[in-house]
Amino acid sequence: MNTHGNPIDNDTEAVVIIGSGAGGGTVAYELTRRGIPCVVLEAGPYLQRADYENDEWAAFNQMAWLDKRTTSGSWRVAQNFANLPAWIVKAVGGSTTHWSGATPRFHDYEFRTRTYYGDIDGANLLDWPISLADLAAYYDAAEKAIGSTHRHGRPPLPANNNYKVFANGAERVGYKYYATGPYGTNAEPYDGRPASIQDGFNFQGDKSGAKWSTAIREIPRALESGKCDLRTECQAVQITHDASGRADGVVYLDAEGSLHRQAARVVCLAGNSIETPRLLLMSASGLHPDGLANSSGQVGRNYMRHTTASVYARFDQPVRMYRGETMAGIIADEARLDTARGFAGGYYMETLSLGVPFLAAFVEPGSWGRDFTELMDAYANTAGMWIVGEDMPQESNRVTLNTGVLDQWGLPVPDVHFDDHPNDVAMREHGYQRADLLYEAVGAIGTHHTPPYPSTHNLGTARMSARAEDGVVGAYGEAHDVAGLFVSDGSVMTTGAAANPTLTIVALAIRQAEHIADRLGRGEL
Amino acid sequence: MSAASALRPDLKPVLVQLLRAAYPHPTFPDGPYERTADKVLTELDADLWHRVVLERGLATLDREALADPHAAAAEEYLRGIAQAEFFRFVRGVAVTTLYDDHEVWDLLGYEGASFDQGGYLHRGFDDLDWLPDPRVAEYDGEPLQLVADHDELPTG
Repeated sequence: MNTHGNPIDNDTEAVVIIGSGAGGGTVAYELTRRGIPCVVLEAGPYLQRADYENDEWAAFNQMAWLDKRTTSGSWRVAQNFANLPAWIVKAVGGSTTHWSGATPRFHDYEFRTRTYYGDIDGANLLDWPISLADLAAYYDAAEKAIGSTHRHGRPPLPANNNYKVFANGAERVGYKYYATGPYGTNAEPYDGRPASIQDGFNFQGDKSGAKWSTAIREIPRALESGKCDLRTECQAVQITHDASGRADGVVYLDAEGSLHRQAARVVCLAGNSIETPRLLLMSASGLHPDGLANSSGQVGRNYMRHTTASVYARFDQPVRMYRGETMAGIIADEARLDTARGFAGGYYMETLSLGVPFLAAFVEPGSWGRDFTELMDAYANTAGMWIVGEDMPQESNRVTLNTGVLDQWGLPVPDVHFDDHPNDVAMREHGYQRADLLYEAVGAIGTHHTPPYPSTHNLGTARMSARAEDGVVGAYGEAHDVAGLFVSDGSVMTTGAAANPTLTIVALAIRQAEHIADRLGRGEL
Repeated sequence: MSAASALRPDLKPVLVQLLRAAYPHPTFPDGPYERTADKVLTELDADLWHRVVLERGLATLDREALADPHAAAAEEYLRGIAQAEFFRFVRGVAVTTLYDDHEVWDLLGYEGASFDQGGYLHRGFDDLDWLPDPRVAEYDGEPLQLVADHDELPTG
């Protein structure tokens, strides 16, 4: 077994954290710094800065979660990337390893969508059991942990080439709320990390260390505390409970395929929104015949992936969008509620650049011929943006166990079913039109509307609810049905909001860890 | 070691012709297409199904129709076989191979790895000079109205 830090005996009832990304890595750091022993089970290897590759396919093959998965539903991803519903990371640090870094907060109305949006046909909307005010202090803490630019005295990043096109276009169409952040990569040295060298490789793991990830901050600090036992290449298989129904252990496979069981006083599940419901469903028992913590029937349901799209614009002069920070450009003018636009919820526009290898694979999947090669021939003169907005939770968009297809261990693979809601379609179309206007305002000679990529923002499959019959976990992420079992990742999101989710996942994890520590301290867990 | 290409060296020229017509770039020389063809043929070693469909597909390809890879007629011919299994297989390998070729990167103006050269901080990350330098700080006027008046909750 690959272990790091101070060993903890398998029979010692520790806090067992499944996953080391934004949620799990943050909980591990916040608990160990309070002296609470934690075992962290990470399915992937411990990649370090020196391991990361400035090469899109090499990095993808090094760190992407490539275990077999299946897809169903009418989404385009199921057609072009049938076994890759999501583009997330299998390594210490989880998807903070390849996250781009945008850190907007959720808005107040986005915690109360059922109240604000009303009863939208086909949408399973629900208000969160918490409000923006409940999270405000934790947002502050998360922004300081990440070192978000434009916040708490952190300076903005400078304008790179892609941002110059984006921001000038924004200004010319009358947008006001644009900037190079807030963004989780340093503009100047901060917290032991250097300033950005603008190398252009955010999605491949940051070799310089300027970008925040739990692999560079929270996990190393947890290991230094002497309270953390990190076991890598360990895939969790089941969460167990005792006769009274309390979570009491985690069964997992090591790299050689041997099964082990770690005793637990508390289990924090943070496997991202596909593996998290998969593990709950694989943990069915006599007490929980439909899957652990699933008396509501909501485990795996309400899978959200954000309404996304990209627009690539061609100019008659050079842009060289690949030089510099990938997503250090955000427009917030459309991130608001105004149903006069024809849809509920809002969206952000964010700069985005792909290198030649990824642009070829994703700009129009399956495309070839001259329409395609003309896009590629214009590469050096191309600017790009991503559109990311709130999608509607739908009960039928869900992660299930596909017992007809087994993974390399013999376990049922997760199937990810997704259909766009009409609200999602209307929002995406609005985003395409606004992006066209923006780029045409600075002289674009053509734009291309790129469909959504395999999901990077996976949310909602173990949602938070005030009442046990409406969701899987309560206001602190503890399962309604299983004492001592917490969900610590983006699966808990009741609705997805427009903002990139990492900052909110970190804020929720800091709040949850404080809650767990308090209850452990009082002997209540 | 490529058993397929070793066994069927005659496949490569027609495969290169197919790749040129499917991905017609006026500035590309033969090298990237030939390396992509080699990759396609190597993949066949482990894949009997695609080996037999590709051998059959290439043997029956209308090479006259593809004589000029940049002619509209060449693409029109390929549109007719677009859903054929062998052509789908070739495209799947080609799109991740041709555009991962460093000579292609040079031709398209992509510079690849930069960390070992200090990134682009001193090498042009902000050298775009045909637009004015925009503001990078957040707007300091009135904050964004988050909820339109007609979407605001009734008060009271």
